[in-house]
Order: sequence, then structure tokens, then C-alpha cells
Amino acid sequence: MPKIEVHEERFFSLIGRRFTHPELEEILTAAKGELDEVDSQEGILKLELNDTNRPDLWSAAGLARQLKIYSGNGIPEYPFFSRPGEARDHGGRTLTVDPGLREIRPYICAFAVQGPPLDDLTLRDIIQSQEKLCWTYGRRRRAIAMGVYRSGLITYPVRYDAVDPDTTRFKPLDGDREMSLREIHREHPKGIEFGHITEGFPRFPFLRDAEGDVLSYPPVINSDRIGAVEVGDTELFIELTGTEIHPLLLAGSIVACDFADLGFTILPVKILYPYDTPYGREITTPFYFQKPQEVELRSAEKLLGEEFSPREALRCLARMGCSAEVREGRVRVAPPEYRNDFLHGVDIIEDLMIGRGMNSFTPVTPRDFTVGRLGDAELLSRRVLSLMVGLGFQEMIFNYLGSRRDFVERMRGAGGDIVRIANPMSENYEYLRNSILPSLMQAESVSGNAAYPHNIFEIGKIARPDPSENYGTATIDSLGFLSASTEAGFNGINSRIAALLSNLSVEYSLTESDDPRFIPGRAAEIRVRGKKAGVFGEVHPAVLENWNIQMPCTAAEIDLNLLPE
Amino acid sequence: MNDNARQAAAGLHPLEARLLRAYKPGDVFDAPRLAADLGFKTGQSNQAASWLLAKNLAAEKSRVQRVFYELTELGLEYAEKGSPEERILDLLRERGPLTLPEISSSLGLENKDVGSAFGALSKEGILSMGRDKRAVPASDGKPHSMVLTRRLLERARSGALAESDLSAEEREIVAGMSKKRGAASSPFRTLEREEVSYVLLPAAAEVREALVAAGISGDEIGELTQEMLATGSWKNAGFRRYNIFSPTSRIPMGRTNAYCDFLRSVKDKLVSLGFEEFDGPLVETEFWNSDALFMPQFHSARDIHDVYYLETPTHAREIEQPYLDQVAAAHENGWTTGSRGWEYSFDREFTRRLILRSQGTVLSAKQLPRAKVPGKYFGIVRCFRYDQVDATHLSDFYQTEGIVIGDGVNLKTHLGFLKMFAEEVAGATEVKYVPGYFPFTEPSVEVHIKHPVLGWFELGGSGIFRPEVTEPLGIHHPVLAWGIGIDRMALMNLGLNDLRELFSTNIESVRQRRRK
Repeated sequence: MPKIEVHEERFFSLIGRRFTHPELEEILTAAKGELDEVDSQEGILKLELNDTNRPDLWSAAGLARQLKIYSGNGIPEYPFFSRPGEARDHGGRTLTVDPGLREIRPYICAFAVQGPPLDDLTLRDIIQSQEKLCWTYGRRRRAIAMGVYRSGLITYPVRYDAVDPDTTRFKPLDGDREMSLREIHREHPKGIEFGHITEGFPRFPFLRDAEGDVLSYPPVINSDRIGAVEVGDTELFIELTGTEIHPLLLAGSIVACDFADLGFTILPVKILYPYDTPYGREITTPFYFQKPQEVELRSAEKLLGEEFSPREALRCLARMGCSAEVREGRVRVAPPEYRNDFLHGVDIIEDLMIGRGMNSFTPVTPRDFTVGRLGDAELLSRRVLSLMVGLGFQEMIFNYLGSRRDFVERMRGAGGDIVRIANPMSENYEYLRNSILPSLMQAESVSGNAAYPHNIFEIGKIARPDPSENYGTATIDSLGFLSASTEAGFNGINSRIAALLSNLSVEYSLTESDDPRFIPGRAAEIRVRGKKAGVFGEVHPAVLENWNIQMPCTAAEIDLNLLPE
Repeated sequence: MNDNARQAAAGLHPLEARLLRAYKPGDVFDAPRLAADLGFKTGQSNQAASWLLAKNLAAEKSRVQRVFYELTELGLEYAEKGSPEERILDLLRERGPLTLPEISSSLGLENKDVGSAFGALSKEGILSMGRDKRAVPASDGKPHSMVLTRRLLERARSGALAESDLSAEEREIVAGMSKKRGAASSPFRTLEREEVSYVLLPAAAEVREALVAAGISGDEIGELTQEMLATGSWKNAGFRRYNIFSPTSRIPMGRTNAYCDFLRSVKDKLVSLGFEEFDGPLVETEFWNSDALFMPQFHSARDIHDVYYLETPTHAREIEQPYLDQVAAAHENGWTTGSRGWEYSFDREFTRRLILRSQGTVLSAKQLPRAKVPGKYFGIVRCFRYDQVDATHLSDFYQTEGIVIGDGVNLKTHLGFLKMFAEEVAGATEVKYVPGYFPFTEPSVEVHIKHPVLGWFELGGSGIFRPEVTEPLGIHHPVLAWGIGIDRMALMNLGLNDLRELFSTNIESVRQRRRK
């Protein structure tokens, strides 16, 4: 979940009023945000935003906008947006797209801004929104990357080209010399981090102006001249490139609205595509592409359990920044320029809920009658539990992930096939257990200081590869128990198995087992209705040695799913 | 008679009581006398004396170090069969001259024992080596020392010989055949015993009076035996009073696990609220783990760094229809749900990818196609996360999740449910609701509670499943989905502050753990 840092004074001035921290916590819930931390030394608030479908909230300006509107300041207007069939004046700012980009990184969105001299706080905010948008929403620049430039140095038309990575050279930001794009991949930190996004293509995306001056190599690195934005700059050029048009346009709209809220004038740029897009070959950006969403007021009332007059509905939606109308019982919402999270009518219903305020809904005790019931596995495991406790055993509960060393090697490679994780975080959590016995051995191995005898058990799940299953694996409810004492011997465990199974009314037979986890001739397989349902015996001293256990042990494992008739 | 004496009398062991009633102050007693008068064994005499000393009712009178000689295993054998010297002499008298090996085999003795016995006898001039290396007796009769040894062995069979009872000559012989330790090769073992005698002090008189007054003879019943019950002999005797404040011993007992008890109590509570339990496999598909929950396949929470993938097998054979087609369509264009969907091309290969279940909501989704309406379901479900293990993160842990289906489900009953959970399951004193975000619910609500011990915290998240989740799975009623975090309550309940402790492998700490 995205976390952002905002400068407290700046943030409150953007909202247009101050909040105490408890007040802020309260109103932040309208943006599904939380106040994580206050750094009063630096005057910084650290905020967490939970809604991954609302990237517009991941900047100081965007979050402030939501809170300002929610506080009753009306819906802001952003007149610089072009719409399908309704382009704004681009003032001669054009950008041409190379046909070669169609298969590489086909879409671009751009605009220039003019405003007060850039201060340090604004620059920090811009860099933060760029990171949040491109990292989480833009999937680490793969789907969306953004660049900011010194607009005064640019001669239009800007060219978005596909170029040869080996012969194209420029001096990158934070680089000490001219490098080819290929060299940047190998040597520049940003190339090393993001080069993989374009690596597989024969040509790479490249941005330069009409004079051939380089803006950047998107999505990797800016140039060190046009791309070196500094405090004091008053004219900027912003572009975003990406693979899918809607997320890209939305990200561009969010950045444009943020700049507008910071007091900048937005100057549209006309993009000229050599191929078709859903909005034609010419798109002037920022561009409003969102479609209206509708919901019947009746279904909203049914889902929320409260009645809404059309007027009330419009008031609630306005608090969420949504222009809407109600006609013949249907609410029609035009999403704000910076939002595109209305997939379904239910998304309008949630905004109605938040707009009206959670406190306005009174909890109602549900009345549907249903019968409660534990699952079969739980019921059986409780019967087994009481018998095992009666036999003097201590119940244990273990983690299911472990290492090859514990689950396989220390058990002499026995226990059958095992599920291995393809992307383990560490070798200590690399395997899913296929038996409870290693868990029990591990407990014994760390418990030499506990008064003997040790009698422990676990009722839990194990999993094994099983080609007959659709999932190729079977999850089994299993009972494992272990006794460690000077007296532990086959007769003792055999008698306990008999006591347990006869009390469960299970008829079983024994056959000799050659399971290497046990001493040969002192291990038995439990058979129930012709199937192997378990194994037990005296644990082999080689296993005990592997676990550094110096006390004789007996152990058993039973597949509980095979016991009931 | 004072209270101290009465109390002292009541707390006496039967051995003490019998001793006190048998003697009066000034009387001298020791182990032999107690054995003769009261039938005490040596150990009982020592115990009784030491207790009375500790109570200042008796004092030590004399202490004498005495030496005893006791037969060893070998000595017992000598006493039965004779010493090797004696047996060799008897054999040669009976059979005439014999070589040493012939002697060994006839008597079943080791060659070296025969050799050393012959050496000792010839040194004393009793045997000599004749022709053909045959041993010959030098004279008739047995030497005096051999006769004495024989007599001493016989005497020692009925009890250790006291040094003070022996003549000077006997002492010399026995001492020569005895060792203090490691006496296996000698017929006698030397024992040093202290013989102590005691005298009853004047204070004993009062306690004795108290004993008499209370009717305590020391013959009261201690352990009640089967025989006493069979014969009814208990009817004619009193019962000894025990010290009920004596220290207890630790009993290794069978016990349930405190954390499991907590989980079972939550299950029981949910069942009592009308929820039916569901369960499922640890290994899941991307389809049920996320796709069926309308989480787009490019969602950031579905990154390689959030879920564990299986190395082999990698994919499920198939995903049940028509759910696969319907879910895929919901992602691509909303299917018939009225949604515009996520507008991307659904990957039907990726959806079969096998993973370790990462969220309990999987089972809620899987329950939908077979759910009753109205219906309430829950599960306490083991989930796996790609997390560094520390005090607040585990690689596998439990999530508590559930659903409520029915026409009565709406935001207000939703809040009513959360209130019920907060109060019934978590013991909340105050409840607060805030808008939440989950990819599969809309609207979504988080519930924060004020707990009497933990203060305010987020108990869980919930919401009404999106139509893109329910309709492709065949449900056309509103479904409330909820998940509550019970780990913090579990830790508090068990007095712990580290999640890893919930799954402790340490038997002693599990044995010690108590629920509050």
C-alpha cells in the first residue's frame, strides 16, 4: 500500500484549513488514508493510502484536493482537458510518434506548465508523485514512466522515436560522459535498474526536440541538460510513456491536476500518432477519456439499507468530487478527471456511503437464521484431541514451511515426495511439510531441558505431491505423536495406537514396515480398509543423531482422512 | 499441657510417637535397643532419632566408631565350599599327588588361583612339589590358621563380625582377608560403622503426655491398603494425620495447547453465531486465490514477491467450468455483471498456476458455488506469505475469514455483524467503522475496536463482494465477506508479544503456557 510524506504546512495550505492530528485522522478515512507517523522536527506527516485504485491520492496535492472537496469546498474545474472530439488549443506544441514504437511502448501523454518559480517543496512533491505513480500504478515503470524537463530549452515538435541502442548516444543525468543506450543499460544505475523493460527490443524509445536535443531515454533516464530540472525553474515540460492507453492517460491527468492545484497553468500538447488509437491519430493531452457510470438509486438503497433522495445522492457524490445527475431513478456519474475507478455501479454506491459518512449508518442486527456447524475434519480432530490428551500427550502446533535439511535430510530422505517452493525467500522456508514427524523431532531436539518423559502430538495439515489430483497435490489432515523417554519402546507405542484406534472404533491391521525413519523390525504400517493409514515405531538412532537427540523416541503418524467409514 | 506440646504431638511421625510412648526422659536408646524393644529397622531407628533431635526432644549421648567384617560374594562361596587352599589340601589327601593343572580342572578353579594357593601352602610348609611336578601334602592334619579361617567364615554367614568380638589371632586372620573397597577378590569386606546412642530429654515428657491425651499410639493407619479394606481392620484403628502443607511433586500431564484452545474458542463462538465451517487445500490456483476475487492479473499484490509458487507441479490440470469462462469474461469486459471489467486479456495459463494459499478469502470464494441462501460460513485458515519472519510476520499463519449470504445483507446489517464480532469474539467495549479498500469488495469497511486491554486497534476488514466476484460464481444475492485479525488477541490471551511464539517448538514453554 502506498505511503507518502507531505509537508504539514504546505498540505494544510493546499486544503485551505488546518486540522489537529485527531481531526486529520478522522477526515483521512474519507480517502481511506491513515496518519502513520508525525515527524514534528521536520514538519512532515507520513500517510498511508489504502485504495490501490485511487492513484490520484498518492500526492500532497491530490490528497489535499479530496479532503478539501469532502470538507465542502465544491468540485474544482480543470478547463485545460481535451475530450473526444473537443481538443483544446495546443499553442503549436506538438509531439510526433515514430511508427516503430507501436510494438515497443506505443503511448505518450505530454503537456507543459508555467507557474511560480519551482521551490524545493514542490520539487520534492513532484518527484514523490512520479515515484508513486510509476512504481505502484505503473508497475515499476513497465506500464508507466514519467519525465519532467526544462520547457524553455525545447523546440517543438518533440519527437518520440524508436532508435538504435548502439549508435544513439547522449549524456544522461548523473552521468559523466556521452553513452550509448546500450552502455547505459550496462553502466548507469538507472539503466541497470530499469534497462530490462526495453532490453528485448531491437530499438529503444527516445525523446528529442526538433533540434535533435535529447530530452530522455524513456523509461530509463533523462538527459543532463533539458532533463535537469532545478529549483527556480518556472516552465516545465512533462511527458509520460506507457504500454496501455487508459492507465497512461489517467496518470497524465493526475499529474496535470496536481500542477494546476499548485498554481501552474497547464499548456496542452498535441500528440500525432502514425497508427490508430482508441481516440484517433491525434490526441491533445491532458485528455478526458472516462466514460460515465450509472447505478439505479434503488439498488444503492438496497445495498446501503438507507433511502436517498436524488438531492441527497447528488450532495453525497459531490463531497467525493463527482458531478452527477439523477434521471428516472438512475444516478449517472461523470468521473472526475483524475479518477477512473468506477468499474461498476457498486463503485458509485461506495462513494454514496463515504459521501454520506459512515456514522450516518446505524448497525442493524442481522435476522437471517442459519445453523452453525463445525467441519467434519474439526469434529474428528477434536475426538482425537481428547483421546491424545487422555493418553498423557501435550498438544503442539507447528509452522508448515521448513528447510530441506529438516524435512528431508534429517529424516534420512524418507517420507516420500515433497512440495518445494519455486521462489523461496530463504532456504529455511523452502518446503511445505509432507509429514508431522520432522516437526515433532524438531520440538524434541530443542527440548532436552524439559522434564522427561516427553509425550507430544499435533493434529495438523500436511501436503504431498499426488498426480491423481487436479492440483497435483493432496492436503491431508494428519495426527503425529512422539514419546521421548528412557522407557520409549515399540510395545508402548503399539499399545497407544491400539488404545487410540479402538476408542475411535477403527478396525485396523498391522504389517511390517521398512520405513528407514524407524529401527528395522520395530516399525509397523497401519492399514485401514486395505489402505495405508499410518506408520509408527521406534525412531531410528540415525534419525535421532541427525537431530542431536539423546533420548530414545517412538513416533507415529496417522492420516485422519482415512479413518472414518 | 501447653498448645505447643499438643501441636508437636499431632505432627509426630508414628515412629516418633511409638518411641516417645516407650521411654521416659533420661532413658538411653540406640538402634539395637529400638530393634529389640520396638522392632525398628536400622533405617527407621536413624530416622526417628534424627527427627527427635531436630525437635530437641532427644540428645546424642555417645558416638563410637566400630569395625565390622562382612562376607563378600567370594566369602560366601568359601563358606559353602571351603577356601581354595582347604579344597586343594582335601583333594590331595583324597586322590594322592596331582599336577597343578589336574588340580585346577578337578576343582573347577582358575590356574592362577591354584598357583597362588599352592605358593601360600608351600610357603607355610603344608605342601611340597614332588616327582613329575606333582603336589604332595607335607604332613597330616590341617594347619591351625585354616581351621580358624573356616570357623570365622561360618560365623560370618549369620551376620557381620564385630571386630570387638574377635580374639587377637582371629583379628589378624580376618584383617588379612578383608578389604575396604573393591573387595570382590577378597572373602571379607571391612565396614566402619558409627554406633550412636541417644537420651530422651525432659521436654519429651510433655509431648508424651500430649500423645497419651490425644490417644495417639503411633500405630495409626498410614497408607490405606486393599487388605485393610478387605479385612475391615481399619475399623479398629485411627488414621494418621498428614501434613497437608508438604511440597507437591510435578506431574507430567496430557494437555491441550493454549493457542489451539484459543483458536477452538473462536471457532466455537462463530458456530454459536450460526456460522458453518469450511476448509480447503493448502495448495491453490491463481484462479481461486486471486482471479475469482476479481483481482486483475497485473495487480501489484500479485507480484512474484507476494506469493509462493510451487516448483513442481506448476499448474492445475483444469479450472472448473463454467466458472473459468465467466471469471475470465468478468476480468476482460465485465461479463454480464454490468461492469466494464479490467479491460485486459485474461491469461488462462497463468490462472492454473499453483501457489500456496495466500489469503483465507480463497475459501470464501470457493464456497460461493455451493453456498445455501441464506448462509453463513467461516474458516480459520492457514495462509502463506512471502515475508521475512520476525516478531510480527510469519511465513505461515492463520486468517479468520467468512461470508454471509442473503437478501438481508446490506451495509447496515453488515455493520451489525461487525459489531457482533467485535463484542462477542473480541470483547470490544467500543466499535468504530471506517471506509476500507479490498479489491474484491465494494463498499468496503474496516472495523476498529476499543479493547479493554489493547486499546484501539483494527480488528478486521469486510465488505460486500463485488458483483464481478459473485455473479461469475453463480450467486445473485449480496454476500458480506469479512476477515478478522485474531493474532493480537491471541498474543494478549497467552501473555506473549512475538507471533513466532504461537508456533513454539519448545516443549517446556508450551507446557508452561496458560490462557488468561
